[in-house]
Amino acid sequence: MTPLAQISWRIASFAFAASLVVAWQLVANAQLISPIFLPGPDRAWAALVNGFTDRGLGGKLVGTLRHMTFGWLAASIAAIALGSLIGSSRRARIYVAPSLEFLRPLPVSAIIPVAIALYGLSEGMAIFVIAFGTLWPMLLATIQGYAGVEPRLLEVARALNLSRLETVTKISLPSAMPDILAGMRVSLTVALILSVVCEIVAGLDGLGQWILISARMFRSPDLFAGVILLGAVGYLAAAIIAEVERRLLAWRKTH
Amino acid sequence: MSSDRLKGLILPALAVLAFEIWLRAFPIASDALAPPSAAVMALAQGLADGSVLLATRDTLLGAIIGLGIGSSIGLLLGVLTGLLPPLDRLLEVSIESIRPIPSVALLPIGLMVFGFGYALEFSIVAKTCLFATLILTRSAVRGVEPRLMEVARALRLSPFARVTKIVLPAALPQIFVAFRLAAGAALIVAVTVEITINPQGLGHAMMTAQQALRPDVMLGYLLWIGIVGFLWNAALLLAQRHLFGRAAVSEAMR
Amino acid sequence: MTDSAMNSAGRQSLYEFRDVGLTLGGKLILNGIEITVRKGEILCIVGASGCGKTTLLRLAGGLYRPSQGSVLFDGAPMTMPRQDVAIIFQDYGRALLPWRTATGNVALALEAAKVPAAERKGRIEASLAKVGLADHADKYPTEMSGGMQQRLQIARCLAQEPQALLMDEPFGALDAMTRQSLQDETLALHADSGATIIFVTHDLEEAIYLGDRVIGLLPHPGRVGIEIDVHLPRPRSQLATREEPEFLRLRRELFDFIEKSEGHR
Repeated sequence: MTPLAQISWRIASFAFAASLVVAWQLVANAQLISPIFLPGPDRAWAALVNGFTDRGLGGKLVGTLRHMTFGWLAASIAAIALGSLIGSSRRARIYVAPSLEFLRPLPVSAIIPVAIALYGLSEGMAIFVIAFGTLWPMLLATIQGYAGVEPRLLEVARALNLSRLETVTKISLPSAMPDILAGMRVSLTVALILSVVCEIVAGLDGLGQWILISARMFRSPDLFAGVILLGAVGYLAAAIIAEVERRLLAWRKTH
Repeated sequence: MSSDRLKGLILPALAVLAFEIWLRAFPIASDALAPPSAAVMALAQGLADGSVLLATRDTLLGAIIGLGIGSSIGLLLGVLTGLLPPLDRLLEVSIESIRPIPSVALLPIGLMVFGFGYALEFSIVAKTCLFATLILTRSAVRGVEPRLMEVARALRLSPFARVTKIVLPAALPQIFVAFRLAAGAALIVAVTVEITINPQGLGHAMMTAQQALRPDVMLGYLLWIGIVGFLWNAALLLAQRHLFGRAAVSEAMR
Repeated sequence: MTDSAMNSAGRQSLYEFRDVGLTLGGKLILNGIEITVRKGEILCIVGASGCGKTTLLRLAGGLYRPSQGSVLFDGAPMTMPRQDVAIIFQDYGRALLPWRTATGNVALALEAAKVPAAERKGRIEASLAKVGLADHADKYPTEMSGGMQQRLQIARCLAQEPQALLMDEPFGALDAMTRQSLQDETLALHADSGATIIFVTHDLEEAIYLGDRVIGLLPHPGRVGIEIDVHLPRPRSQLATREEPEFLRLRRELFDFIEKSEGHR
């Protein structure tokens, strides 16, 4: 496809999305759906702007970002360290991997009641839940990455007399990196979801609490503003980690 | 191989044992946690009086109907966008701007529109399944061997016959993978919705047990949710293996 | 023979395999191997598939330890891989780090040898230049052809400044043209560095063309079946050398040996 055609399609795609927004506006204006449930995009936008200027929406945003990044970062560090330890030994993999496979299909949100029982309705509870929920997928991905290291490269490491630590840092870890980053990408989405859930359940300072209160008070423009903001957070988080992946894994491009 | 299996059981067995001994020896945290044996007893009792099964029915109903609605729409959109690149390019911005909204963010909207109950759960589960199915089905359809499409053209098949005779059968293994992943997500989202807001099913039962300071019942439900999740996943994997052979499964693991 | 007398007088041995046997997974792979490798020579090893030629090379590299007998390097037993022994694997695509450029791949060998960072750059450039990759220093392996990837692996091994180069069917996966030019480059590198080369191949002509000596192994278990000296003048040339009557005679001798050894099983 020529660059010109690509740009035209992009514009057409944006135009289509814009037309959906216009349709939404028309539906709202005609009050086909009660304005209590469906605000027009104009009112949702006004609520978004107003929320940031007067009503502390920015603080709620920061709260959600704090919960998700703290929990996710703690889990990432733990998963990479623990995964490297377990992954670089075939014997350890045999003992640990089946337990992780069993945990994988477990709905992690089911840990929330347990976390509340342990930590109460606190921020610590939320960070524990997020860290716990994101740890397993990343740990499993790291271990899988280590299991998939090309045996020939390990032989090269032996032939070069690399120490165990050097073999991990120079051979196994970089080789497992694509799997690790994929695990981190999936986990970041999970972290956002769990943040919102914890904020709703425990009434913690964050966008989850904002949208729940807005709904309870039937302030649908505020509710939509919060949802749009959460969509933006999800989009940006995915975009940032995709960019990190692109940079770190530039070598994977094939010609 | 079977000795490796046994080795995999050692770690969880030790963990359960340590947990049991710890809570028996120091029953300080007794209204927050309960030893595994008490959780198993509570679960057995819940199964006997039918309360666990009733909650399981509600959760599975929420997951299955939501999955049905979401994955049918996702399948349709996925096949269409996979087959018609212009349509895909036209919809791209719209799809990519709705997709990153976390499903649980839509919970309050669903709550306002539907109130508590099944409809709330269906709608949130359906949103998750729709996008999971859409994205994977689209790439499955796009991944159909180009030579097969040439064959279809050479045979002068009608567009409808091309879809039903060539594209769908060729993409079916991958589409089932999409369905399996969506189904896994459906159960997780159903439980999450129940824990967060919706007063029904396993998630809510667990929250109630926690609030009633019955850690044994709460952990019994946690164990049960784990078992249900494991069986749900195992059944889907089995179906996939049965329908499409081992190759499709291992490919899906990548 | 005068030649071998001169060898034993003028050149010391680098490797000595003394009654070496190897059992892997309860199976006897090699038995009663007696080989002496002289300093600076090119020794080629041929044999039917399954005769243990690759295993023999791994013993020389210290990747395996013999179950019986001993492998001596410079008079001392070879118990583990050494910095001054470099191994070139056949599957170059798997033996290179895909996330490092050509420079980075060569650097790995220097990092392993704890060469100070300041010294590395010059040695990397020199190694890459020797194999003709000076202009491709910043390319990733996936951006290179098979021949270039194998050259890169050779460059990494040269950076180790090895006394011995162990080459395991290094050109088996390459096309005929590339193979011939790499054979000649190998001979040039050998003449330049004076390293001892043990070269495993299944291509009999390649063995004669490159080698000072060729050893043929018999299978099940692997043992030495034939040992021939190659009295072909150096420098060798792809056209002239391969037309010499001596070349054709040796080719016939080895060919008969392989055919007989395959009938053995």
